Amino acid sequence: MADGFVEGFDNTVDDALFWLSDNADFLFDGARVVLDGFYRLVLDGVGWPPAWTIALIGGALGWWLVGRGFGALAALGLGLCWATGLWPETMDTLALVISAMLITLALALPLGVLVGYTTGLDRLIEPVLDLVQTLPPYIYLLPAIALLGYGTATALVATVIVAMPPVIRLTALGIRQTPEAFRELGEASGVNGWQMFTKIRLPFALPSIMAGINQGLMMAFGMVVIAGIVGSGGLGKTIYDAIRTLDIAKSIDAAIAIVILTMIIDRITQGLVPPKEKA
Amino acid sequence: MNESRAEVLVDCQSLWKIFGDKTEAAIRAVSERGATKADVLQQFNCVVGVSGASLQVRRGEIFCIMGLSGSGKSTLIRMLNRLIDPSLGKVLVKGEDLSRLDTARLREMRARHIGMVFQSVALLPNRTVLENAGFGLEVQGVPRAERNAAARASLAKVGLSEWLDRYPSELSGGMQQRVGLARALTSDPEIILMDEPFSALDPLIRRQLQDEFRQLTKELGKSAVFITHDLDEAIRIGDRIAIMKDGAIIQTGTAEEIILNPADQYVADFVAGISRVHLVKAHSVMIPVAEFRHQHPDIALDTLPAAAPDADVAALIGQITEAAQGAVAVVDQGQAVGVITMRNLLLSLREAPAAQGGDHG
Repeated sequence: MADGFVEGFDNTVDDALFWLSDNADFLFDGARVVLDGFYRLVLDGVGWPPAWTIALIGGALGWWLVGRGFGALAALGLGLCWATGLWPETMDTLALVISAMLITLALALPLGVLVGYTTGLDRLIEPVLDLVQTLPPYIYLLPAIALLGYGTATALVATVIVAMPPVIRLTALGIRQTPEAFRELGEASGVNGWQMFTKIRLPFALPSIMAGINQGLMMAFGMVVIAGIVGSGGLGKTIYDAIRTLDIAKSIDAAIAIVILTMIIDRITQGLVPPKEKA
Repeated sequence: MNESRAEVLVDCQSLWKIFGDKTEAAIRAVSERGATKADVLQQFNCVVGVSGASLQVRRGEIFCIMGLSGSGKSTLIRMLNRLIDPSLGKVLVKGEDLSRLDTARLREMRARHIGMVFQSVALLPNRTVLENAGFGLEVQGVPRAERNAAARASLAKVGLSEWLDRYPSELSGGMQQRVGLARALTSDPEIILMDEPFSALDPLIRRQLQDEFRQLTKELGKSAVFITHDLDEAIRIGDRIAIMKDGAIIQTGTAEEIILNPADQYVADFVAGISRVHLVKAHSVMIPVAEFRHQHPDIALDTLPAAAPDADVAALIGQITEAAQGAVAVVDQGQAVGVITMRNLLLSLREAPAAQGGDHG
């Protein structure tokens, strides 16, 4: 009996997926074209300048936002990526993370603000976020591949899915935890709803939101490597290919490139967090 | 004295605030059958924050609400600008019923007519002192140059002209609270609500700010409602004082009235330790001229030194010890209205009998 139920459940899921890919094909085709196009655009942006320009920009950002030492390390690290001969792949991965993150922010920030403002909605959305965060990331790849096919669009969608929860969560948290005294100040000063959001709630939420974006980025970096399986291209593909051919040296090169990229982006986005107290 | 004839700016009419799950039933019980605070707690399990509070604040007056923590004073002051909606009763500000204002009108009322200063100061940490002081005008959409000028002017009034571009965290507690006051003044409201603004400051700074606040408010002709848990502060600052206990106002009056005639034992205990020499005035110490003549037919009234009706006991002691006859005439507009003798002065310093009972009980 239990077997029958499980079988029934599996069949239903399969059927639903097939039905979707049969009947809503135009929708997913359209989505794929748009996602691919967006990724190309970002890739043109980071892939077009010569490697040393990107290394310099990375170094300058590191210097400015973190410190002189980190700036030098960032430039050196990017130089190392170039030296291993994995520069195009590194830029592919960077473009994938950036485009996934832009989509994530466009979706997760408004959603997070909405959740922060709406009492009760958090109780609805928390379990969903928990589910998304506890499911093994591979799970997203299969349905995505069934609907969008092998390629960057699938990798992009899977990355967006794992990157969204921390951004939503920490944005909502930041919006919700405006100190009572400042809410009163706003009310007593006669602010309207929009002013309360931009002048009072948002400044207090900013550190929390930035922490969410930082965490989302880290999730995204994890995912773009896994998404090598579904044709993400870039370093994920390099690593996946190296695993299949047991090319240990190459997989380590690619792993180092990932680590360097991740660390640079991590520290730079942390540096973006406005200093809480100017003391 | 002439304040009693001044326009009433804030008029609270039997305000109630009831917290809990069954507030509606509790409110009905209060309004329909006059249930008391204890009834409400017992029958509906609702906590009464404020019960039946009425007060009038007149133009140019500093009105202090004194009560210990939990007395409902913070709730009461928040009903004056509708940060908290009253469960029952009415608040009229400049004749307008706050509960009837729509959101836009309420915003306008708060922005232009009622300023507020908080105990926690609540200076926005990401803004400079100048930007903080201009916040109210910024919210009203006043152009930057104009609001900066207004903010600069009000910061100058509180003596912070040198600190415009600093951030709040660079300022001491007293200075931060000055910025809070300046922020309230920048929008030029008629009424300023002060929610225990000086409680967190150390005593020296507190006294200094109390005096500055009183002077500034009088200079600018503002009216203020000032919440405090400190009777000394209320006396120092307030023209009139309301004493709150358990959500109800148990006495309203000038410091002198409250000290000379405490409404009940609670108030009497409170005022027991307060020095009277600067609070009790000639007009409440003096005896009628006729009575003095009867007692001392030998003393001619015009040989006595003259004192004004609002001269305090400290001043009178000075005068009377210099006077040969041991008496002072109280003269109002060239007319002798009463006489004060040594005996009167000593009696005025004796605490009210109720307070003595309190000491022993």
